[in-house]
Amino acid sequence: MDLVLNTVRMVDYDQVKEYSCGDENSLKENLAICILNPEDIKKLNLTPSLNLKLANQYGEVVVKVKENKDIPSGTVLMPVSIWANLITGIDDEQLIFKNIKVSAEATRDAILTIKELLNKIIP
Amino acid sequence: MVSKRVTCTGCSLLCDDIIIRTDGLYIDEVIGACLKGKEKFDCTTGQNRILSPMIRKNSELEKTSLENAIKKAIEIIANSSKPILYGFSTVNCQAQLMGIELAKCVNGFIDSNSIICHGKVMNAAKQTGMTLSTISEVINKTDLLIFWGANVAESIPRLLNKALFSRGKFRMTGREIKTIVIIDPAKTASFNVMGVRDIALQVEPGKDIELIRALKEECCSPNSIPSNGVAGADKEDLKRLLIQLTNVENGVIFIGQGIVGSSRSSEVIKELLELIQMINAQQQKGRMSLMMLGGHYNMVGFDHVALSTYGKNHSLQFSDNELVETSDTIVSKINNGDFDCSIIVGSDPVSHLPWTLSKKLVSKPLILIDNKKSATFNCAHVVIPSTITGIESGGLGYRLDHVPVELYKIVNPPEHIISDEEILLKLINGLK
Amino acid sequence: MAFALDLLQGKVKIDDCTPLLEPKYKKNYDTLKELIGSEEGKEKELTIDVDEDLCDGCGICVTICPVNARYCPPSLSGKAPDYPPEKHQLFQVKNGKCELLNLKYCRRIEGEGQARECRVCESYCPREAVKIDYV
Repeated sequence: MDLVLNTVRMVDYDQVKEYSCGDENSLKENLAICILNPEDIKKLNLTPSLNLKLANQYGEVVVKVKENKDIPSGTVLMPVSIWANLITGIDDEQLIFKNIKVSAEATRDAILTIKELLNKIIP
Repeated sequence: MVSKRVTCTGCSLLCDDIIIRTDGLYIDEVIGACLKGKEKFDCTTGQNRILSPMIRKNSELEKTSLENAIKKAIEIIANSSKPILYGFSTVNCQAQLMGIELAKCVNGFIDSNSIICHGKVMNAAKQTGMTLSTISEVINKTDLLIFWGANVAESIPRLLNKALFSRGKFRMTGREIKTIVIIDPAKTASFNVMGVRDIALQVEPGKDIELIRALKEECCSPNSIPSNGVAGADKEDLKRLLIQLTNVENGVIFIGQGIVGSSRSSEVIKELLELIQMINAQQQKGRMSLMMLGGHYNMVGFDHVALSTYGKNHSLQFSDNELVETSDTIVSKINNGDFDCSIIVGSDPVSHLPWTLSKKLVSKPLILIDNKKSATFNCAHVVIPSTITGIESGGLGYRLDHVPVELYKIVNPPEHIISDEEILLKLINGLK
Repeated sequence: MAFALDLLQGKVKIDDCTPLLEPKYKKNYDTLKELIGSEEGKEKELTIDVDEDLCDGCGICVTICPVNARYCPPSLSGKAPDYPPEKHQLFQVKNGKCELLNLKYCRRIEGEGQARECRVCESYCPREAVKIDYV
């Protein structure tokens, strides 16, 4: 299913706060998430035990889903974080953090921890 | 225990009315600061504070002395021919100046976070001009506040308090006389402060430029708006917005990442600045201005320091101790791999840049000067801990409305930890 | 207005409002009876709760509270009031969260029939963290 992604700053899911006082678990719990309209959750056949895989030309990420009826259908929000930046990118030397097309599907894949993510790129 | 009024460096609003209770060693209570500000004050004793310099040995970061860390950093920089410096949005102006001098000393390239944020507005303003406002003006005179692409209630919590709910000198009835307009695709927490005469525009994602163009066209005649609205915004709401824009006495448009972080952002910003100029040209007595919402407390500062020293607000490339022309930005430098080491100051680019850039950034030696552990910390080759400006050291900062604010030391930093400008000066002296 | 607030606090009953007993207001009378139900006449106390999990310390309640505005001059321009708090001050933001200092001077319980249906702290909280209730 195609969605439009926006990365946003949220008080409850704040990267700066998690890095200051959180740990590996709280980082994953509070930042590796996305927020969808309940209708979209239904269309994707998402259950509480399933995660959501978001993918586009920049990459892919697996995150936990939270629902909020105030999010318009067809839109997915993610807090600004290293997980969200797996699917943000560059277009004509401009960094793109908003209105990014992604394809979404339910998945049983696990959510990567920050250590697992960084181990992929640390030389 | 003493009480003092201090300035908070939690975000770019730089609230100078915060009261802290301290015994001189630790900050016990923080009164008046929002959650973001409190978290900044908590950083002094946070569990993820960097308390020791570190060097990477055998793929692991190991503690070392400050001298060794500085020595290793100097070695890496001296062996590189194309160093890049990045960050500088959470350090004081003195450190920003030192950063620029370091870049000059090593024929490097320096850029700050503002290039991917409000710096785009400054760039567009060179062509179109820009009308600015201060927070005091907003409190005392503004009667229309437009939040465009910004969830201000969650990104800068106290701004709504000061801008919308205050009872200013010429706006004594406060909230009753002020109108707020929120333009955002999603219904965020900011929408909860709206009243009956306020305007909420939930535009379709990516259609802000259509809305701005429609407002520019209809500036003279609100009666020719298409009946099905524009960009997902209702016709009646657009009419009300136009009437507000053209009749307001003092209005401010606050723009956030929704405008700056989208594709075609340069176009959108240019058109928005032209809209503001157009409204001001037509107004008999009113005035519209612009304010950029930034998260980091001294993002604006780098632009001022760079402009006043070298006449350019971003992307400074040095060669033979001179500033040279370049069309590169930090994005193109990293994307093209046009660097051989990086010095990151007060920032966490591995977390906030797209993954493709982060991968390229950490593939080369990385020196980090910061006070808390982050994703970039985990990828660095050398880590040098610094003080937290505004709490453990002083300096100058620029608020989001371009007003300079002096920051003061409140408590002592942990042992052997020095300020960003002192660290950068040690690097400069070691490289000369 | 003062009667409405006294009714919510259980200090009076619906029948104490003589105009409501007139036939032309029967519908309003019945609606009120249904709304208040068995709680009528039960003494209740005003509470203003701030949900700590939702509050982000924005300070809008501190600025918008008319009592704070009257007795704490810095709050007029959105600034944090002086410390220690003035005796009339209702709200204060401490350690990043709003806390209610005292209800004594809240406009909802002003004496001598001056009580008003003031809900500005609840209405304008962007995070919906403030809840006014009678328990």
